[in-house]
Amino acid sequence: MFSDFMLGAKSRLLPASVPFRFFATALVFHIVAWATLLWSGDSVPGFIGGMGPALAALHMITLGTLAMTGMGAAYQLLPVATKRPLRSERLCQATHWLMTPGLVLLLWGFGYGPTWAMHAGGSLVVAALALFAFLIADNLRRVDDMPLVTGHAWLAVAFLLVVAAIGMLLIVDFGTGLLPNHAMAAAAHAVAGGYGFMGMLVMGFSYVLVPMFGLSQVPKQPYGRWSIWVSAAAVSLGVVGTLANSIPVMLLAGLVGLAAAGLHLTMMKLTMKTRMRKQLGGSFVLMRAGWVLLPVSILAGMVAATGVAPAIAVPLFGFLLVFGWLLTFLVGALQRIMPFLASMHSSKPGIRPALVSALTAEAPLKLHLYCHFAAIACIGVGIVVGQGWLVRGGAAAGLVGAVAFAVFAIDLWRRLHRHLNPIPQTASESP
Amino acid sequence: MTAQTQTGALLHTDHVATIQALQSLEGFLIRQTKKSAPDVADEAVRKALQSLVTTLTNEVGRHFGFEENHLFPLLAERGESGIGEFLKHEHSTILPLAEEVADTARKALDEGFDAASWHRFYDASVELIEREIFHIQKEEMGLLAAIGMLVDPAADAELAELYRGLQVA
Repeated sequence: MFSDFMLGAKSRLLPASVPFRFFATALVFHIVAWATLLWSGDSVPGFIGGMGPALAALHMITLGTLAMTGMGAAYQLLPVATKRPLRSERLCQATHWLMTPGLVLLLWGFGYGPTWAMHAGGSLVVAALALFAFLIADNLRRVDDMPLVTGHAWLAVAFLLVVAAIGMLLIVDFGTGLLPNHAMAAAAHAVAGGYGFMGMLVMGFSYVLVPMFGLSQVPKQPYGRWSIWVSAAAVSLGVVGTLANSIPVMLLAGLVGLAAAGLHLTMMKLTMKTRMRKQLGGSFVLMRAGWVLLPVSILAGMVAATGVAPAIAVPLFGFLLVFGWLLTFLVGALQRIMPFLASMHSSKPGIRPALVSALTAEAPLKLHLYCHFAAIACIGVGIVVGQGWLVRGGAAAGLVGAVAFAVFAIDLWRRLHRHLNPIPQTASESP
Repeated sequence: MTAQTQTGALLHTDHVATIQALQSLEGFLIRQTKKSAPDVADEAVRKALQSLVTTLTNEVGRHFGFEENHLFPLLAERGESGIGEFLKHEHSTILPLAEEVADTARKALDEGFDAASWHRFYDASVELIEREIFHIQKEEMGLLAAIGMLVDPAADAELAELYRGLQVA
């Protein structure tokens, strides 16, 4: 995958400011989301939709952290994986300028703010996502190899259009009552966004990231290709089933989704089996936990689809999908991607590239790992037993972890800056 | 990512062997810790150091030499000089480190480690492990793909034959 870093040389690497601005914004929303959950934890058990801080916190993670990270990673990794440059660096930056203020307005609107803020914010976010989809599709259409990466990425683009369209309808519906069944449209939005857009991005880029970090080879097995088609069928059935409020179709979607997850996880297991690098550290603990939580979230979704105990099943499904699978996997990947990219940007004439370990502060990452798992466990249990204090306790742990992750990121930037701008030794200090 | 050429497959085999050696070294360093120098009279320690010296002296030098003298010039002829320059720059950082580790290990096999030589060996080894693995990561993902894209089967067979000859020698 690094052929483009080197074929055409290091100049093909996007300036560090492009991916890192997305990552930095994602980490700010990560902190604010946990803080919002801490503040509004009592409203999470039994939450089945509607405006308020829980909805805002959910979108801080989905759009603020997951989509932001996905954009930054996609802009950096897709041209590398496909060996074709993106059309325009400025357009990549433009998505950030549209997305960030759009999100702030949208989230304000979700948290009982004025309707115009929701509409304006939603429009800006959709414009950013549309531009992102255009840039990715433009890159993908020039690629005929890398079928596992591009196949999943195409699906992500397709479901991005679906999730954006339903999302805008849901926003308009808050003021007008346009939709016949707001709750089921929201469920379709969750399936298309969680499994369709973000899920396909995560699964596709796993075929780049896992071999890269584990030094392994993607096995020549057909499961990966099958997982593209089976995932497409599962998410499509899920969206149609929820929109039509059809329990059999939703359950079928769940079963097909489990098959898709099984195929993907089999490929990941085989890829990990061939890895040359045995010690993979805390990031892979998070990524592996994410893999475990993927089928668990689908099972929770199937329970929610049956309509049994909706006050537990619906919020648990949303939590396991967004905070469990996607956030756990992405923060694991991000803590490897950031120092790796920083190291790639750390050499200049007369200065040797910085070691990844020299750029990485391990202590905050360890703290984040423990706090993240504590948060997932406490909030999951809090939702099941209907105890807001447990949710708030979990959110407090999540907040500490998110701050620790931000400390790691700031420290990384500081170490990179110090490495690139060493303090010259004075004559008296010279040996 | 996948070695699709004969030359790529040979380089990949080298990478696997080097990573195994480096991971053994890493395990040795972790078990030993920086505080206590190992006893080179211990047969297991001697074996580990001898194997390390062999890998670093023969394998790494031969591998880098083949790439710099044969592979990178060929890629440059095919219009791609950036990759060679980039990796050569990394070689110039890694090779002195590998030599330092090998020299210190060789000397320790004769004279044992004192605190200063053990600390030097430890620090250089830790840096070597990380730089070499990061380097292999790039070669596995970039160079092997580049060979597949830029080197035709006839030239690939010729290069592979040449490399096998170096291995025998």
